[in-house]
Amino acid sequence: MSLVKVEKLRKYFPLSKFRRGRFVKAVDGVDLNVEKGEILGILGESGCGKSTLGLVMSRLELETSGRILFDGKDLSGTLRLNTETRRRIQIIFQNPYDSFDPRLSVKTSLLTPLKIHKIGKNDEERLKIVAEYMEKAGLIPYDDFLRRYPHELSGGQLQRISVLRAMMLKPDFLVADECVSMLDVSVRAEVINLLLDLVESNSTATMFITHDISLGKYVSNRMAVMYLGKIVEIGKTEDIMNNPLHPYTRILMSYSPSLFKRIERIPVEGEVGSVVGERKGCYFAGRCPFSTKACFEIQPSLVEVEDGHHVACLEVEKQL
Amino acid sequence: MDEVLVIENLTVVYTKNGKRIKAVDRVDLKVNQGDMIGIVGESGSGKSTLAHAVMGLLPSNGFIAEGKIRLLGYEITRLNDDEMRKIRWKEFSMVFQKSMNALSPVHKIGEQMKEAVIVHEPEIGETEVESRMKKVLDMVNLPHRVLKSYPHELSGGMMQRVMIALALINNPKFVIFDEATTALDVVTQGQILDEIKNLVERLSLTGMVITHDIGVVAEICNKIAVMYAGRIVEEGPKEKILYDPLHPYTKALISSHPELAEGGGRMRGIPGNLPDLSKEIKGCVFAERCPHAEKICFDDRPGFVKISGRKVACFKIKEVEE
Repeated sequence: MSLVKVEKLRKYFPLSKFRRGRFVKAVDGVDLNVEKGEILGILGESGCGKSTLGLVMSRLELETSGRILFDGKDLSGTLRLNTETRRRIQIIFQNPYDSFDPRLSVKTSLLTPLKIHKIGKNDEERLKIVAEYMEKAGLIPYDDFLRRYPHELSGGQLQRISVLRAMMLKPDFLVADECVSMLDVSVRAEVINLLLDLVESNSTATMFITHDISLGKYVSNRMAVMYLGKIVEIGKTEDIMNNPLHPYTRILMSYSPSLFKRIERIPVEGEVGSVVGERKGCYFAGRCPFSTKACFEIQPSLVEVEDGHHVACLEVEKQL
Repeated sequence: MDEVLVIENLTVVYTKNGKRIKAVDRVDLKVNQGDMIGIVGESGSGKSTLAHAVMGLLPSNGFIAEGKIRLLGYEITRLNDDEMRKIRWKEFSMVFQKSMNALSPVHKIGEQMKEAVIVHEPEIGETEVESRMKKVLDMVNLPHRVLKSYPHELSGGMMQRVMIALALINNPKFVIFDEATTALDVVTQGQILDEIKNLVERLSLTGMVITHDIGVVAEICNKIAVMYAGRIVEEGPKEKILYDPLHPYTKALISSHPELAEGGGRMRGIPGNLPDLSKEIKGCVFAERCPHAEKICFDDRPGFVKISGRKVACFKIKEVEE
């Protein structure tokens, strides 16, 4: 049984306060499961709904419809979870400076969650746990870092602390939302490797949200590609990378800047928009260089093309 | 005139809270006609400061403490604001990172482009301006209707294309692209990089690309200069720097790219932090984080050594190479 299972998940945002009838469909019918100990990469451009999906699945945003099962329990329809479930689901955000209280020292920010979740008998014991994790993250001497406030740390250091803050609680499910995209390349590796070490040793099911294909490839075991609120392709990382089938995945890969490879670019028009209201057919059809008349009429659903590799494209389906 | 840009011994200092921060520290750089040089560095490396110094656009707390900049025969460091204003955007121009902030939100794109022309050529006729605007819009694959649009009506990719069109409207001989595609999505970034590459070839543009993303440089430049903590540490042809980096920092920078961690290997970062630029650094700026550093690296500043087709500032280069 999957640790996290999502069925027909939808999240619509009203377009404006005054026109309540119109919605942006940020997440539009996603079916997904994340297994214990696996890292699932969610790949997509801005506006594809990958962050909204992360927020809904970590129970910080309420879905419009659909089901979320976590370890067999149905969490849909409410954001009021018990403390134990909250501990088991953690999230790491993109910007560490926005996700720490600027008026709290690192020490307070790290001790408080332990206290809330009743980990460690007293502050002394909790401090020991924190120290142990700080050392794992290479933040030595730890008491020097604990004394400081978020603005006194570099982005890389603070992001490592936010990785610790989430992983100290030994969560079963972690959402990492673009957790290194604002860091310099040379410090990225340290944050990513720390995250991987902790996630592996705790066999935490992880959803790694990113727009960077090469990073997604490096980190994840499985990958899902999103476009306008829908998953267009999902499968094992090596299957997606070696045999991308959905036209959007192939286009995305052909445009991704690379140091060494020169992939022939697949011409594409327009930019990612958003879906407002009802729309027939495949959402990518308008930009897709391979679309046929049917693509504008029929909405494709995910079809398995090889073991665990699903693609939502009529043209791919035809060739099966 | 083969050398379009010559920077000699340039030092740019910012004053902040009574501290003097050396953002650019005695940099030498030459850009020849037809070169597109990528200035690669992480945040705090001084790459943007270098570009702003060349454009004469340093903020009020920054100044050139030492050195010379000669661009297209003009001694940039000796010109006053009025003289700069006459040649900036006509002889050389810049594409900024945040097009949203660089464009006026209350004027139509057409008005803003027209003004950029009229300021430099007041006698120019209406039809001539019109045709020139259309010509540059065609170059960046934008429909002519954007002339009647306000910036907020355009997408990020379109605005960035407007910025490029605006930079090219007076046929400049030198263009700086400052993180011109950084904020864009993968596909749009790729498309705009292709367009820039075509323009560079078609107009035989000379220029500079400022970026933190080595992938971008790999796409559009023929030369690369790697900056770290205000200094250039390695400079040479793109192929040499990308496929055979020699300076320990360049090596580490390239090997921290996730693309290189294929086959199950771990991505390697660079431990440590950028040195404090408000303090005088006697030796090599990278010594503190360098696995090869010895006493001399902390005591003396390394000069450039010419070695296998590029210039490297490193004392231990012989050992590093092996």
